[in-house]
Amino acid sequence: MNIQEFKSLLFAKGREQGFADMEIFYVASKSTTVSVLNQEVKSYVIAEDGGVSFRGIYHTQMGYSYTEKIDEESIEFLVTEAKENAQIIEMDDQEELFSGAEHYAIIQRYTEAVAKVSPQELIAAAYAMENAALTFNPLVKTVIQCSVAKSEGETLIENTKGLHCYEAYTNISAGVYLMASDGQQTATGGEYDFTLKDFSKLNVKKIAETAAQEAISKLNVDSIETGNYPIVFRYDAATQLLGSFASILSGEVVEKGFSRLQGKIGEKVGGHNITLLDDPLMEDIPGGATFDAEGYPTQKVSLIKEGTLLSFMHNRKTAKKAGTQSTGNAGKSGYNGTVSVAPHNLYLQPGQESLQDLISSTHQGILIVELQGTNAGINAISGDFSLSAIGFLIEEGRLGRGINQITVSGNLYEILHQIQGIANDLQIKSNISSPSIKVKSLTIAGK
Amino acid sequence: MLSQAITEKVLQAALGTGGDFAEIFVEDKTSSSLNMIGGIVEKALSGRDFGVGIRIFKGFFSVYAYTNDGSEANLIKVAHNASQAISGKGQGNILDLRNSVMPNAHEIKIMPSSISKKQKIAWMRRAHTAAMGYDPVITQTNISFVDYVQNVLIANSEGVYTTDIRSRNRLAISAMATKDNEKETGFMGPGYFGGLEFMEQLDIEAYAQEAARSAKTILHASFAPSGKFPVVINNGFGGVLFHEACGHGLEATSVAYKTSIFADKLERMVASPLVTAYDDGMISNAWGSLNMDDEGMATQRNLLIENGRLKGYLIDKLGGRRMGMNPTGSSRRESYRYAPTSRMNNTYLMGGQSTPEEIIASTEFGIFAKYLGGGSVNTATGDYNFNVREAYVIRQGKVAEAVKGATLIGNGMNTLQKIDMVGNNLKHEIGMCGSSSGTVPVTVGQPMLRVSELTVGGRKED
Repeated sequence: MNIQEFKSLLFAKGREQGFADMEIFYVASKSTTVSVLNQEVKSYVIAEDGGVSFRGIYHTQMGYSYTEKIDEESIEFLVTEAKENAQIIEMDDQEELFSGAEHYAIIQRYTEAVAKVSPQELIAAAYAMENAALTFNPLVKTVIQCSVAKSEGETLIENTKGLHCYEAYTNISAGVYLMASDGQQTATGGEYDFTLKDFSKLNVKKIAETAAQEAISKLNVDSIETGNYPIVFRYDAATQLLGSFASILSGEVVEKGFSRLQGKIGEKVGGHNITLLDDPLMEDIPGGATFDAEGYPTQKVSLIKEGTLLSFMHNRKTAKKAGTQSTGNAGKSGYNGTVSVAPHNLYLQPGQESLQDLISSTHQGILIVELQGTNAGINAISGDFSLSAIGFLIEEGRLGRGINQITVSGNLYEILHQIQGIANDLQIKSNISSPSIKVKSLTIAGK
Repeated sequence: MLSQAITEKVLQAALGTGGDFAEIFVEDKTSSSLNMIGGIVEKALSGRDFGVGIRIFKGFFSVYAYTNDGSEANLIKVAHNASQAISGKGQGNILDLRNSVMPNAHEIKIMPSSISKKQKIAWMRRAHTAAMGYDPVITQTNISFVDYVQNVLIANSEGVYTTDIRSRNRLAISAMATKDNEKETGFMGPGYFGGLEFMEQLDIEAYAQEAARSAKTILHASFAPSGKFPVVINNGFGGVLFHEACGHGLEATSVAYKTSIFADKLERMVASPLVTAYDDGMISNAWGSLNMDDEGMATQRNLLIENGRLKGYLIDKLGGRRMGMNPTGSSRRESYRYAPTSRMNNTYLMGGQSTPEEIIASTEFGIFAKYLGGGSVNTATGDYNFNVREAYVIRQGKVAEAVKGATLIGNGMNTLQKIDMVGNNLKHEIGMCGSSSGTVPVTVGQPMLRVSELTVGGRKED
């Protein structure tokens, strides 16, 4: 049964069961992932999957259900379950489906040439990447993971109010994770990159060398004395930190009272140098989108401008509650989720200085290049964090020896006012990105 | 779910290019999740996950393919496509499939589908009411209830053809305490491998009140000190220490490739002689248990460390080939989307001789970590970290003021050797563990224990 037949039967069954407006959110994807080890293919994964999320308004409430099996039996399941779910929802705000916008931006996310890249080409790239890592330096002992993956997929949202949104994408990504050892200590380094458009631009040699250099630089490390230090977070560590707290800008989180930014629109929440944007309309980024999970058109949104909080991210429901318009930030964790709020391409606006400038301007401090335990050591509500970190000493403006077995702790809300420098090294490789930043002082626990 | 005849054809197609092992994993799972915020049901979602994973080995090489389309024609196509990744010749051998029935050792008395959503909401509301009623400082609750039934069929070219049914349910209670602009949460999340008989017997109010008490305590706590101190880790979820510091490093996923600090160390002393640890997938109805693993092998009780000496690893089929060792019934996956690999089930440290009172009383100054959050580890270096939700300072052998916001860090083998007291109060608690084959339910367990020195990452402004 194809998706259009399935949709017609589903909507007919829904009507019969008393649903008013109904919507399907359909996702299908295909991918091939190759991993190599010691110049042999270690594993090969071929994936083909997808599913349908159904939602509809029964009396006044929205009911949700989903299935991965596109067959007649599932139609019964979707309608019955969504109806039951609608009947138990207790919110008094009435949700409506979106009938579509007149205008949607156009960005190219599907490239035929990428879709046609063969498994042999992926394998060859993985071999080249592993080889580049192993020959970079004898200290690189083992490549733990070396994978290249190609994926393509499509998203379709259609409802009984006439909405029709469709988008397809292609993506090739390459990642390597390796281990270096000098006989005394062991360290790991990883790097990845992606392309939506041009496989030849994926520089696997550079990916491998970056990972190898990273692992080697982390050898010969020791902890340091506990105390307060100026901290430079390299772009990747800064990205980890920003990513852990992005939820505080979600209109949904704010409305539930789980964000300390609640009620602060128009107020200063950070230094003058802080501008945070969500821009889904850039080309060749992973989070690019012209419509969100409700089919609402996306736009470039300024969330914080020069330290002043301008807006939260909203979907149609949270916007209505807040008395504003949707920012096109309806998110859905695939067909097996419900509509919530999520960033597409959130980033901290880069500054003028280089990372080297941030280091040079630091008399005694620490450069942090990796944070660990962001799954647990973050309290997104209070803003407090305490995270295991790896980095380097900065002595009189120069990088010194490596540091491990330390934790860095502080509070995100306070940090926003204490950023002394923002570098010009923004790299967009995920939905949330930050350039390197320098923070006045944070607590380091070590020896 | 898939007849023996079709299964055989699919396995034949998978072995068409000379693979030496083929396996098929069919999953049909129905789930329901409910979310209540501030006493109001805001989200209700039901779903049906269905898919088939096909895996082929040739020597150490593995191919994995999965699809949502379980029709015979498509499965044969997928198996054939997967087999093209193997460049051999000839037809691999398939033993006769034996329909083996493994009696379920983990009884499911009340299937989740037989209980109305209204009843589930009533349980959630009890948690909300109890948490809110604990103290005026509690201003918000977030309660969720999730249940699922996963039906699997596992068959392979060695003749295995078997089915299993796994049912789990979990009530997650989060209570938020507020003072001025400060907000802190306390969390309790009891869960069960079995049916909803668990919820009928659960003391929901006690869990909700404990979440509220913890939130209130953390709200009034000052920041933890920073530096190296003796740390007493409470029983129960404290077992996440062993899970991160050691457990992951014993999985074939890293041991087979010699990227674990515990590789090649069997029979060597890797921990304090006070440490004896098991991973046991057989504990009746425990959150991390399974009747059979995701390769169709019965779970077992695996001795990992005995009196400080490394005795065993957790091994899946593919890892076992590389290591030249037998699988240990530890192969797991989140869903058909993942090829299975060696994972923990219910991991715990055995109880020792000391009473909890003795451990605290013999600590002059240190940190008592009452509730831990999650953590992570780099298995190549052994460096791990985990978060402490609720802790206290120990002064002169007594538990003193509450502190918050600390992360504990250390190096696996180093920490295991610094365990200098082990209590007699073993307790298991539940969690979710994420790794290369997805996120799977596990329990961690330990008695109260003391580590003579750990780095505590607090935020005391001094």
